[in-house]
Amino acid sequence: MKALRSSVAGSLESSDVLVSVSPRDDGNIEISVESIVFRQFGPRIRSVAEEAAAASGIEGATVAVNDRGALECTLRARLETAFERATEAR
Amino acid sequence: MINPLLEAREERWRKRLREAEALPPGSSLVTLTLRMPAPLRLREEWAQRAREVHRALLDSFEERGFPPGGEEFHLGADGPEGYLVVSAGAEEVKKAAIAFEEHHPLGPLADGDVMNPSGQTVGREDLSLPPRRCLLCGRPAAECTRERTHPPEEIEKSVEFLWKGWEGAEKPFSFREESSARIARCADTALHFEAAARPKPGLVDPFSRGAHGDMDYFTFLRSGSSLAPWWGVFARLGWNFRGDDPAALLPPLREEGRRAEAAMFKATGGINTHKGLIFSLGILCAASGMLERRGAPFSPRECCTAAAGIVRGVGEADFAAARRKERGSLTAGERLFVDFGVTGIRGEAEKGFPSVTDHALPRLKGDLEEGLTMNDAMVNALLVLFTVSEDTNVLARCGSDGATLLKKKGAEILAAGGMKTQGGRDALHALDCLFTESRLSPGGCADLLAVTVFLHLLCPEDTGPEVPY
Repeated sequence: MKALRSSVAGSLESSDVLVSVSPRDDGNIEISVESIVFRQFGPRIRSVAEEAAAASGIEGATVAVNDRGALECTLRARLETAFERATEAR
Repeated sequence: MINPLLEAREERWRKRLREAEALPPGSSLVTLTLRMPAPLRLREEWAQRAREVHRALLDSFEERGFPPGGEEFHLGADGPEGYLVVSAGAEEVKKAAIAFEEHHPLGPLADGDVMNPSGQTVGREDLSLPPRRCLLCGRPAAECTRERTHPPEEIEKSVEFLWKGWEGAEKPFSFREESSARIARCADTALHFEAAARPKPGLVDPFSRGAHGDMDYFTFLRSGSSLAPWWGVFARLGWNFRGDDPAALLPPLREEGRRAEAAMFKATGGINTHKGLIFSLGILCAASGMLERRGAPFSPRECCTAAAGIVRGVGEADFAAARRKERGSLTAGERLFVDFGVTGIRGEAEKGFPSVTDHALPRLKGDLEEGLTMNDAMVNALLVLFTVSEDTNVLARCGSDGATLLKKKGAEILAAGGMKTQGGRDALHALDCLFTESRLSPGGCADLLAVTVFLHLLCPEDTGPEVPY
């Protein structure tokens, strides 16, 4: 499933995360992670984002995760929503 | 979107971006939320309590001289939310919000997010400040939140403890009064620590009059008590100051300083115990008050730089006046300047107390870290001051030979290990006898030691959990 448009989900409030998705033509998934708890959870956040991207079946997207200390369930929900919004037909 | 809480938070974020866009230029948007788990912040009692937190945050901006231009409070699906429009830059506003979070009794329960008109948030990391600490354990809060380190019932206990504390607290809460009281406590403690430390060659300690025939430790205790109310007066002057040029603070400070001097002389029966200290700690208390109003934590160096701004040009002005005075009416400091060009404590203050920030304070902190007692670390810091400062008390009484001896002996004893070795301690006692006999009293260094301790107490580097109980 191809990313059709840019989307965002979440916020930059404390304990939340802002996920931004934008389409790319080469079919790859590029994920970038910023986090206030990067030192401890950076790799974990990245793997959650990779899993969520795979589960969504999305193809060709740049995914920017800006984490403000979100719980993992919040992170998953934000990723899911961002992918849904990116692939929704208008 | 399945989770209504997440949806509400996203909605709030969009609202914040809209509100930020509508901000007048140069102003900022503060968003208040409760810092506790959702099941707690959604409880009925917290609706009213959050309103009180919102009110307190608003009052705190007002007290700092940023009266909010607009405010809003409502109960959202994610819990209570407050909004304030403050007409100042986002960084300045964030500093004030952090001061609320850190120092208001309700602050630990509040999250004060700040956004500028372009929709960018300014966080602690943007101000190079350490991350916010956990309410319970003092670790970075985001780590505990993410790992759900603390069981909900423990968080609730902490939150209730804080709230009950607020209910029982005296009101209205005033940041200015809290800040000036804290600054004053540091000054008062520093004064007494300095007096109690021993052995201090040539100086008064609890068991020795040093080179002084006319005063003892109890004279210092009397003097200290008489000055206790004055440190807060100086700090408040600093807090209330609103101008651009801190030098304008000096005339009112000098006026209050003279009143403090009068109180000291009354208490000591006319003996000068702390005149120099009233000057040094007086301007530092005012500088601290000035910085505290801005909100963010500050370093000893920033405090000293602010103090230097208050006294900028004071040496030149005072000494120009001294040149026109009758010799007999000159103070010791003025006479030394006229005769030798020595600027003494005025020069030290104008330069921002470099003897303290560059030498004595690093030594004190280093020694404390190594496990020395406060007493021993203070004596070593005093020896460092012997070697780096121009002590006008010594110059006035014993001339430049005395000043040279002071530097030489200080360096020798430090090289012998100071209070860390038996040799150093023996040398200190021998020097005490020598200075006592030759009536050499490094009172200027003693004042700078009190300044060192003041800054050490005022600017703690390491802070534990927000609710230590």
